[in-house]
Amino acid sequence: MGCCCSTDKDSNQNGETNERTHLLGNPVSNNTPIQRTPYDGLRYPGSVPKPTDEQSALNKILQQTATNVIDVAALDSHNLEQHEYVERARQYIQKAQAAQPVLQSKYSKLILSKNSVLKDVPAIDNLLIDSPICVMDYHMMIKNSAKISKALNDIHIEHKEDLVVPFAIP
Amino acid sequence: MEELRKYVACILQRVDGLLAIVITDRDGVPLVKVALDSAPEMALRPSYLSTFSAMATDQAGKLGVGKNNKIISIYSNYQVIQINKNPLTINLIASKTANTGQLVNLENDLSVVVNDLAQAVVET
Repeated sequence: MGCCCSTDKDSNQNGETNERTHLLGNPVSNNTPIQRTPYDGLRYPGSVPKPTDEQSALNKILQQTATNVIDVAALDSHNLEQHEYVERARQYIQKAQAAQPVLQSKYSKLILSKNSVLKDVPAIDNLLIDSPICVMDYHMMIKNSAKISKALNDIHIEHKEDLVVPFAIP
Repeated sequence: MEELRKYVACILQRVDGLLAIVITDRDGVPLVKVALDSAPEMALRPSYLSTFSAMATDQAGKLGVGKNNKIISIYSNYQVIQINKNPLTINLIASKTANTGQLVNLENDLSVVVNDLAQAVVET
């Protein structure tokens, strides 16, 4: 009879590993309330494991292993037929068209905000009849921006030591 | 849909050297495709695009360093960045000289589009 070994942390569950410790990991034991014995022929009354449980447990292990294996051979096994591809692309367009009313306004706004530096301003008269900024603020802005541009022009790199240094190689 | 395409086209223009943006499903079927004429046709084929989302990203996630989010492939003339946005995938095809960091950063702007598309396709 085969034996399945599991390295799952049974000790977390029961404290220590003994002959009553579940062979299978937590997900399986949660599904099977009956406590099982190991496969050594020793069985307690009421603890006989159902064959279907074993089968499903084995299937789970198999499935888990299959999902964990890096299967390079299967990489090119799945390709869509041309007509499936066309059909699906058409379906996507239909579905996206159905959602269009919601998306349209959202994206037209996004385009405006993301794309252009210059853009149309609605109700320009409101902006124009606004009172102009005060002269002092204007002078302060001019002065500060002149200072900033001067500072930017003054940035230069001071060469102090060699970038490439020879190590003490014997 | 047209507005959405325009928005993606705007993003395409923003990075120098970016040739195409394709948003596909897991099998490489495009939902939105915006490409310049100079984009390599081979890299736009579903058979190429599907290798990432159908298999590569899943398999790469099993290497023990967590879930795979992006795959950047740099070829001698082009670079392809594929971003996993389950259930969809963003594919960016650019020339080899394009700034890869800038391309990767486009994910922020494109994720809005991907979320909307995914919702539209899944719900309706």
